[in-house]
Amino acid sequence: MAARAEAPVYPRPWYEGRVTSWLTTTDHKRIGILYIVTSLAFFGAGGVLALIMRLQLAQSGEHVVEPETYNQLFTMHGTTMVFLVVVPILAGFGNYLVPLMIGAADMAFPRLNAFSYWMFLFGGLALYSSWFASGGAPSAGWTSYVPLSVETQGVGQDLWILSLHILTIASLAGAINFIVTIHNMRTAGMTWMRLPLFVWSIEVYALLLVAVLPALSAGLTLLIFDRQLDTHFFKPDAGGNALLYQHVFWFFGHPEVYIMILPAMGIISEVLPVFARKPIFGYTAIAFSTVAIGFYSMLVWAHHMFTVGLPSFLMGFFMISSMIIAVPTGVKIFNWLATLWRGNLRFDSAMLFALGFLGVFTIGGLSGIFLAAFPFDWQAQDTYFVVAHLHYVLFGGSVFAIFAGLYYWWPKMFGRRLGETLGKWQFWLMLIGFNLTFFPQHLLGLLGMPRRIYTYRNDSLWEAYNLASTIGSFVMGVGILLFLLNVMRTRRRPDARTGNDPWLADTLEWFTTSPPPPHNFDRVPYVTSARPLRDIRRRMAERSA
Amino acid sequence: MLRKPLAALVLAAAALAVAAPALAGNGGFAPVPPQSPNAERITTTYWVILAFTGAIFVLVEGALIYFIVRYRRRGRPIDQEGPQIRGHNRLELAWTIAPVVILAIIGTVVFYELPGIQDVPKASAAGPRLEIHVEGRQFYWNFRYPNGVIAVDRLRVPVNRVVRLEVTAPTYDVIHSWWVPALGGKIDAIPGKVNETWFQVDKPGLYRGQCAELCGIQHAAMLNAVEVLPQAEYDRWIEEQAGEQQNPRGETALGRATYREVCAKCHGFRREGLIGPALTEATVANTEALKQLLAEGRGAMPPVGRDWDKAQVDALIAHLQAGSQGGG
Repeated sequence: MAARAEAPVYPRPWYEGRVTSWLTTTDHKRIGILYIVTSLAFFGAGGVLALIMRLQLAQSGEHVVEPETYNQLFTMHGTTMVFLVVVPILAGFGNYLVPLMIGAADMAFPRLNAFSYWMFLFGGLALYSSWFASGGAPSAGWTSYVPLSVETQGVGQDLWILSLHILTIASLAGAINFIVTIHNMRTAGMTWMRLPLFVWSIEVYALLLVAVLPALSAGLTLLIFDRQLDTHFFKPDAGGNALLYQHVFWFFGHPEVYIMILPAMGIISEVLPVFARKPIFGYTAIAFSTVAIGFYSMLVWAHHMFTVGLPSFLMGFFMISSMIIAVPTGVKIFNWLATLWRGNLRFDSAMLFALGFLGVFTIGGLSGIFLAAFPFDWQAQDTYFVVAHLHYVLFGGSVFAIFAGLYYWWPKMFGRRLGETLGKWQFWLMLIGFNLTFFPQHLLGLLGMPRRIYTYRNDSLWEAYNLASTIGSFVMGVGILLFLLNVMRTRRRPDARTGNDPWLADTLEWFTTSPPPPHNFDRVPYVTSARPLRDIRRRMAERSA
Repeated sequence: MLRKPLAALVLAAAALAVAAPALAGNGGFAPVPPQSPNAERITTTYWVILAFTGAIFVLVEGALIYFIVRYRRRGRPIDQEGPQIRGHNRLELAWTIAPVVILAIIGTVVFYELPGIQDVPKASAAGPRLEIHVEGRQFYWNFRYPNGVIAVDRLRVPVNRVVRLEVTAPTYDVIHSWWVPALGGKIDAIPGKVNETWFQVDKPGLYRGQCAELCGIQHAAMLNAVEVLPQAEYDRWIEEQAGEQQNPRGETALGRATYREVCAKCHGFRREGLIGPALTEATVANTEALKQLLAEGRGAMPPVGRDWDKAQVDALIAHLQAGSQGGG
């Protein structure tokens, strides 16, 4: 008895504290949450930059910001949204979900995984530190075309290069981790044709990153050599070639677009069947269209360069390849629609965002066909038509899908459901605000308004469309603030707690508790189809009948 | 009840299609009204693509809204499953092939229209084509006519003539993009590369555009315009310019235009200073220093006048030194 009372009380080691455990974690779920939270913080920052731009453009001749500041705003907004929001938040979803969905205990390389996250965070901080650098933030656009980006003074541009270098290392390590995990750590019975479609999309996302990030790294290295070591890769006055950079950048840049949309499509392919109470229509077609899009995405880059004076046969080639990529995209949209057909649809916020995705992404896909037709692109290139198009696919597409994913998997991550009332308000404000912001931008582009200008012609129609766009952006901003409010209230609402599988879902992540224990599963069921949880529910129903 | 949303959508689309052209200058629902054969053909491809994509839009959004309304839960138990349909090969084949056919049609139309857009006609009824050398520079357009006349930002051309533009940028400058929406698509002005584009306008008038590739701090101010003149008026203008630029006396039109389009964007129309400093009489007094500044730039100021013709340098300096009342 006495010995028992005197048993030593071990102090908790320093790395298990409330904060330190997050700093030292190698648990894929915690790293996933870190990715998501950090990306959402950058999403807020990038959104504020966008709202300042919209204020400046509300009317012609406004003086909200200086011309130089405006150039910094759109450069930082674009770079933030691409590199610090959409790509990493999808990495966050992948981190959290892939091991759970394939029945694994963690990623293949947990420490490499933590390394990826911290590199991402430091890369982001390196970029944002440029606001305080001599000369201020970079101002040559998120594409940083040469020779402008070579000639730009100040260290902002160099910090931009440094930041992207760090981020490519983060993404590359993360991508390799995903590939190894998906190939080697699937549980018994989880064949490729039983893999959740989200995991398929992460597989292609990771393969694309490995294939194209080195091109970006090479381009960035040449750019910093030109800036700092006085080499002449891109300097025309010393025999360099200004177009070389564009080829290198877009060889990375266009697949990057699909890197940002494929996992979003994967989220949609998970959400729609659950809320329609049906299997996904054409699993094989969706899986292989993901692979097809990934492959073709590496053959379309020069459609960003139709106005540089390429030979006609090259433009013809890139038009045809860009149109071919619309076919597997269309296949996905038709299959999703067919998934809804004769379903038992319930409209929780996750489903609303998924349906909103279908509605607005379709518009973005269709405006892409216009841009692929290169003579029309000569009119639309570098105008607000392109700005509208890219926001329809990346905001209406990726961001809507990301919110669908957040509402859908929040109960898994935290054991609590986000509030439905606020969720629905958020959805409608975002849907209306989004279309009010970006639809008029198509018209502005056709009227002749180029992108990246801090003010514009004093013309009543231009001003009307721009004002509509500004109003819409603030409506959207309110919607996004409601998400923040929802998150805070969900932490305290007593009725937010849910069971392990609140949606009666199909995939393996819902087999374990919500939130899952550090080791994920006590036992993993043998997987007999692409919908293991539905199989289990049916077996249980048969047994009790 | 079920058809209502679909009907409303179709109606709205139809109303839009009717209302759009009725709006002045089509309100942005189509490219600005074309004034040149190449721009007309681009607009034709736009309408062809819009017809197909519009149909797909109505089909997809209509089906989406119809399914949302028709298959909503309506009090059914949450866990009640729909029919477990996993796919349908023939249907999926159909919606793979149909887009291929549509895209093939669009592609064919593009290649059919392409020669009329891209190939520069040798001549027109009004005479041989007019060749003009266009240089995009931070932050203005410099034009050189075949007879050596120089103009800035505003390009004057005769009506009905085919005008071929050789578009480039100096090797020490950055990329710009030449674009006048009513006169066709844009073409980039790239250092070290010469591109071409053309137009032929049959109506005198002023057609505006602006640089379409981010080129730095005053990208938004890099405006251009094409002024189409009746032949006689053009002939008078070009001769007047040739005379004035070869034998300048005091202030010239070229000097004023150069100040307005090159200097004023940063130093202000009344020399009051905007992004750049104000120009006082003292700052412009030293001719040699001005020449050096124009050729080399300083700090944020680009070398705006590097390899200008002597005529243009002299014209600007004459204008600058004519006193501040010369203004813009």
